[in-house]
Amino acid sequence: MLWLYLHFPHLLLDHIRRSSEKASALVIVEDSGQKVIQACPAARDLGVGAGMRLKTAVSLVPELGIIRADQQQEARILEDQARWLYRYAAHIVLVPPNGLLAEIGSLQRLYGGLPAVWQTLEEVLQERRLTAWPGIGHTPLAARLIARSGKGTCTSDKGHTLQVLGQMPLLAAEFDERTCTRLQRLGLNTLAEVFRLPPADMARRLSPETLAYIQKIQGSRPDPQAPWQPPHYFRQQADFVQDIEQSQGLLFPLQRILSELERDLCWRQQDTDCLLLVLGHRHAEPTRLRIRTSGPEHRAEAFLSLIRLRFEQQPLQAPVILLRLTVKRFLGREAPSGQDLLGESQDLNEAWHTLLSRLQARLGENALKQLAPQADHRPERAWSASEVRRTQHVLTTAASHLPQRPLWLLQGPQPLTEIPQVWFTGPERISGGWWDGQRVHRDYYIAQLNNGQLAWVFRDVREGWFVHGWFG
Amino acid sequence: MSEPSYAELFCFSNFTFLTGASHPHELAERAAELGYTALAITDACSVAGIPRAWAALKESPVKLITGSLFELEDAPPDACAPRFILLARARKGYGQLCQLITTARRRAEKGQYLLFSRDMETHALDDCLCLWLPPAPANASPDQALACGEWLLRLFEHRLWIAAARTLEAGEDQQLARARWLSEHLRCPVTATGEVHMHSRERQPLQDVLAALRNHANLENAGHCLFQNGERYLRPLPVLQRLFPESWLEESLRIARQCTFEPGSLRYEYPPDLVPEGESPAAYLKRLTQEGERQRYPEGTPLSVQALIRKELGLISEMKYEHYFLTIHDIVAFARTRNILCQGRGSAANSAVCYCLGITEVNPAQVDLLFERFISKDRNEPPDIDVDFEHERREEVIQYIYQRYSRERAALAATVIRYRPRSAIRDVGKALGFDPALVEQLLEGIDWRDKATNWRQQILDKRLTRNPKVADQFFTLVNTLLGFPRHLSQHVGGFVISSGPLAELVPVENAAMSDRTVIQWDKDDLESLGLMKVDILALGMLTALRKALELISQQKGRPFHMQDIPQEDRATYKMLQKGDSIGVFQVESRAQINMLPRLKPETYYDLVIEVAIVRPGPIQGDMVHPYLRRKHGLEPVEYPNDAIRSVLERTLGVPIFQEQVIKLAMVAAGFTAGEADQLRRAMAAWKSHGDMTPFREKLINGMLERGHDADFAERLYLQICGFGGYGFPESHAASFALLVYVSAWIKRHYPAAFYCALLNSQPMGFYSPSQLVQDAKRHNVVALPPDINISQWDHTLEGRDHQLRLGLKIIRGFPTSAAERLYQHRPQTGYQSATELRRLANLNQREMELLAGANAMPAFAANRHQAYWQLLGHEKPAELFSTAEDNESYEPETCAQLPEPSEGQNVLADYSSQGLTLQRHPLALLREQGHLQFCLSAEQLKTTKAGIPVQVAGLVTGRQRPGSASGVTFVTLEDETGNVNVVVWLETARRQRKPLLTARLLHVKGILEREGEIVHVMAGKLSDLSHLIQTLPVNSRDFH
Repeated sequence: MLWLYLHFPHLLLDHIRRSSEKASALVIVEDSGQKVIQACPAARDLGVGAGMRLKTAVSLVPELGIIRADQQQEARILEDQARWLYRYAAHIVLVPPNGLLAEIGSLQRLYGGLPAVWQTLEEVLQERRLTAWPGIGHTPLAARLIARSGKGTCTSDKGHTLQVLGQMPLLAAEFDERTCTRLQRLGLNTLAEVFRLPPADMARRLSPETLAYIQKIQGSRPDPQAPWQPPHYFRQQADFVQDIEQSQGLLFPLQRILSELERDLCWRQQDTDCLLLVLGHRHAEPTRLRIRTSGPEHRAEAFLSLIRLRFEQQPLQAPVILLRLTVKRFLGREAPSGQDLLGESQDLNEAWHTLLSRLQARLGENALKQLAPQADHRPERAWSASEVRRTQHVLTTAASHLPQRPLWLLQGPQPLTEIPQVWFTGPERISGGWWDGQRVHRDYYIAQLNNGQLAWVFRDVREGWFVHGWFG
Repeated sequence: MSEPSYAELFCFSNFTFLTGASHPHELAERAAELGYTALAITDACSVAGIPRAWAALKESPVKLITGSLFELEDAPPDACAPRFILLARARKGYGQLCQLITTARRRAEKGQYLLFSRDMETHALDDCLCLWLPPAPANASPDQALACGEWLLRLFEHRLWIAAARTLEAGEDQQLARARWLSEHLRCPVTATGEVHMHSRERQPLQDVLAALRNHANLENAGHCLFQNGERYLRPLPVLQRLFPESWLEESLRIARQCTFEPGSLRYEYPPDLVPEGESPAAYLKRLTQEGERQRYPEGTPLSVQALIRKELGLISEMKYEHYFLTIHDIVAFARTRNILCQGRGSAANSAVCYCLGITEVNPAQVDLLFERFISKDRNEPPDIDVDFEHERREEVIQYIYQRYSRERAALAATVIRYRPRSAIRDVGKALGFDPALVEQLLEGIDWRDKATNWRQQILDKRLTRNPKVADQFFTLVNTLLGFPRHLSQHVGGFVISSGPLAELVPVENAAMSDRTVIQWDKDDLESLGLMKVDILALGMLTALRKALELISQQKGRPFHMQDIPQEDRATYKMLQKGDSIGVFQVESRAQINMLPRLKPETYYDLVIEVAIVRPGPIQGDMVHPYLRRKHGLEPVEYPNDAIRSVLERTLGVPIFQEQVIKLAMVAAGFTAGEADQLRRAMAAWKSHGDMTPFREKLINGMLERGHDADFAERLYLQICGFGGYGFPESHAASFALLVYVSAWIKRHYPAAFYCALLNSQPMGFYSPSQLVQDAKRHNVVALPPDINISQWDHTLEGRDHQLRLGLKIIRGFPTSAAERLYQHRPQTGYQSATELRRLANLNQREMELLAGANAMPAFAANRHQAYWQLLGHEKPAELFSTAEDNESYEPETCAQLPEPSEGQNVLADYSSQGLTLQRHPLALLREQGHLQFCLSAEQLKTTKAGIPVQVAGLVTGRQRPGSASGVTFVTLEDETGNVNVVVWLETARRQRKPLLTARLLHVKGILEREGEIVHVMAGKLSDLSHLIQTLPVNSRDFH
């Protein structure tokens, strides 16, 4: 067996940079926002390095772009890489947070030798604008250590591999901190010196685990690796450091993702007729756009023109900070689309979903909403019509705590044209919402109008009288 | 209908943290404006806001009522948990209220309170009135509410009211109906209340922000955690009249009339314990003073001092301050019996009486200090004496106070921690839902040293938000939140001691530190109520001095005390004049080291000035140069008139001390005593929120009118601003100067004892142990490495030449207990092997590894690597199978494969194990390896001509950007011969930020400058040589 290890030294940074058109200094900071974990080359040139306090980094580069480390996001991005690598190699292992391992012994024949494999790989990486350090070794650990030290070369020679490993300094050999300190204290500097220690002494004086680790590197102890299985859907995401305000700005990253999709569909030998495009905003609920093609499709160009059309009709609600494209529905290329319309759905609420889908298809995405209460004192904000959810939410507020409100709330307040006959309760004063620009300041009353209707009326700060709803 | 009037009885100030949205004084002022008859401040289980409200209402017709709101943890039988306000009727009721708060606070964690229904039954509350806030219909059934009311009625018969508020929120009708219903059933009157959370409706946004923060939410998602409207404010009387029935409003007045307690009536009673029976405090103080006199002046008290003592005692008894002096005397006397070094300072400390009482060592015969300047009859403010104790032993003194006066009678004053720009921006940002990372980035980017007002502009420049409306809101909120109290912390050492239970004077609560209790008032509150505190502070130098004196006593073979140090020793001053002052108290900073050769102190009083002159006040007022010129006779000493001469004569006509500046305001600008006092307070508060500008005009005009020139006036004003927050009074400088002299004398004459004591008192002072050891070596003190067969825990002096042997404490992470065992079980002949050491001293693997890492086993391990090999793989033999031979196999094992450590490796290993090395300095190795070819050493610089380009390199031991030096960064580089001072101008710093901020080993090309004996390198090009440290050995380890 021969192993290839790909080490992505700044995967998250690459991911972000390839969705942005201009290059600026970027860093990733740890979750608490105190320390820099990764710095892009531009930032490194300006003196920012990993481990530096953010304070120092910002004083070095005031206009630094800052991304918060996010484990889930990193895991997702790593999986993205596994997906394309899977097209070349069948046995892939994910090594979070930033490594991929692939068995390539069997590929050599397919590609006509190791150099051809190596070259293909370099081309793909370049095309994808990814930085990865490859390493080849006869054991997974050997490949990993070589890759991570940046000393990978295109050779399958075991002797050479062991020689490179031997010269490796202790700190690069990825011992646990305690073992590393111990070895250092013994005055050892390189992995070769550790290899030289008698195995029995190593197990007794250091630990059996240390010996096992050394043997796994050398290959005298098995190191089985469970292969990764690709998911049954396509999903790609682009994250932006700076908000994108014009839909035009989304086309650049979209193009890349769509051609990715096209390749994925080709590889799957399938088509699709439905894309889900989610646009994330900093302060608002994400926008979800469902893009339907008229029939099975796989060409990026076709998708792009549909999306462009959609953008023209529907301008962006708010600046966008992330973009995610998901495809879950795949159609066989030869199968006529009609047959697939009610394709297998494993959902238990099949009838419900079918109804929803049909309604949505008939009336359009945005015509179908779901009502839900919302904690806000302003009546027009106390409920929300949100996108239909597939799962049911349990009501948390007990009815007795809710204030007295009319069942029929008007679309918007309407001027009161007559003086009410009878006043019931009031005033109830509501003032709030200063933070989102929709400030209200009103006194509400329940009053009976001349025609006997029971109305919810208010007087606002400008002294105007309005009807806001009707009681039954 | 009669003229409307109303008493607000339910009002939160911002001392109900994250709830109240107005300062107590804002509430008080607003109540006065609106013509309220009375205002009760009723914070949740607290009276912390009372002194401030009282200060604002002292002169006003509005009566201040003291009260507090409580919510019980449990419910009385069949009832719901009650929520109510207690108001103090008279002084007795106030004491009861404080006692109840103390009970509730003391059993809860810091900042919380826990009160149970049985507390209400066991505490006497007969002088308190109770306003019950009945539960909302949604929260309790009528039966539960009624049961709750009946329970309260039993406790507060004829003293219970039902509080009704008009918040105009949904469900208010039902709430009011319930109040009426309960009132009928309980035959208990209803009173109107405002449920006030803010003084004005405009505070609603801030109140919403606080509510969101309290609920860990932001405004978008806080929802019903926010109030429905902004009606909880102090309403104008006509509005109240519209909203409440007249009888309810009248009821509030009836309650207010019953409350007669006034915070100003609180009188502080000093513990009488100290005065022997049958003697008056004055007579006792006089007797103690006379006893002290005999000790201080065995050959008879000088006449001038006698007169001074008589005058001081007269003043003390006139002001009735005897107890204060006796209390401090008692504490100091205790310290003396325990051999704890202490020294008093402050306005009254440097008096003849305090000298005789042993509170200070500053001899009035030696220094011309006039006590009267410090206690002022007119100002009627309490005398202020701070006492510094050895920092390692202050706790003993604190425990003594607790034990002597009991916890019921002694507690620390509080320090109110307030919102500062950083925390306010962070919290408002959080509430407005800004991205926390963005806010942090913004905060990191702000240069806080730019004057306090500029951060706003900086934020605007950073474009936190593009929406100008949001930005405006943000700033308004941040600005309003600034200065809001966040929590109570403990004062550094201010004790309040009382004669009766302290909890009847002011509530006591828990501090974060276990076993510490604080009162709910801070220093300013105590001052405004005229209460006294005793400051028990910690000072590292006193610890070091005591240890040094002990070492000297050992050397001399007889006790040696501070008093035995000869005065005005020439050699000591000579050393200081050279700027050789590392480790010396107060004058060891870089700026002081530079000042010493310029000021050339020759007498004790020069040291008093030295201590005070390197401070923002004199520097910003540009008083340093005139003083130096006059001192060295380069400029005539002149006084505009005799009045000014009397103020400035001792400092050659240049104002240096805070007292002089205030006195000048009176003498030269015509300030009255009262105005001068205001100026003093404003100076103390200026840094946080005070404003000096009102004084500017008055000062400058006053001086111009009296014929002083505008330039001098302007400089005096700048100096006043500079003193703000950093004011340095002569009374403190005098005490400090004494310690400067003593520590300098020891350094000069007993250097080994000096460094040993300093090292044993770490952490303290400016310098790291490494820097101290290097300075010791430069003063010919031989330092020896730690050795398991010789070292103790502390550093010691050994042999005839008093060589400094490092103790085991220098090994990072090595526990005291292990060192003790090691020391106790050490065989006569020393430990012979690692196995023996491990077994006898019962050390675990980690401790053994630390010893090996420190190379502290030279007896049986050739080097670190071998020492370490011996420790590895050691399994404790199971008891059953262990045999005698196993334990006695002391044969050291060696491993041939292990390399010998290089010198560089040893140096770095020393650094990582001990933070210092006794081997050659890393710079010496690098120089030898040829890395620093053109670099001059610190020693060489001393003899190099000024004005020529030079190159230097060294470990960066300090980077400073003092506020007083505009934009200049001072970098200190350390090499094997000493320290090099590098000055980096702002422009240079901007262009070379990276090496300046990140280098551990820095190379500088620059121009040598010289001023007398002070040598600087004006930096041109900076380069980072940190990578060279990695080349010392093959392995890299972190350096500092």
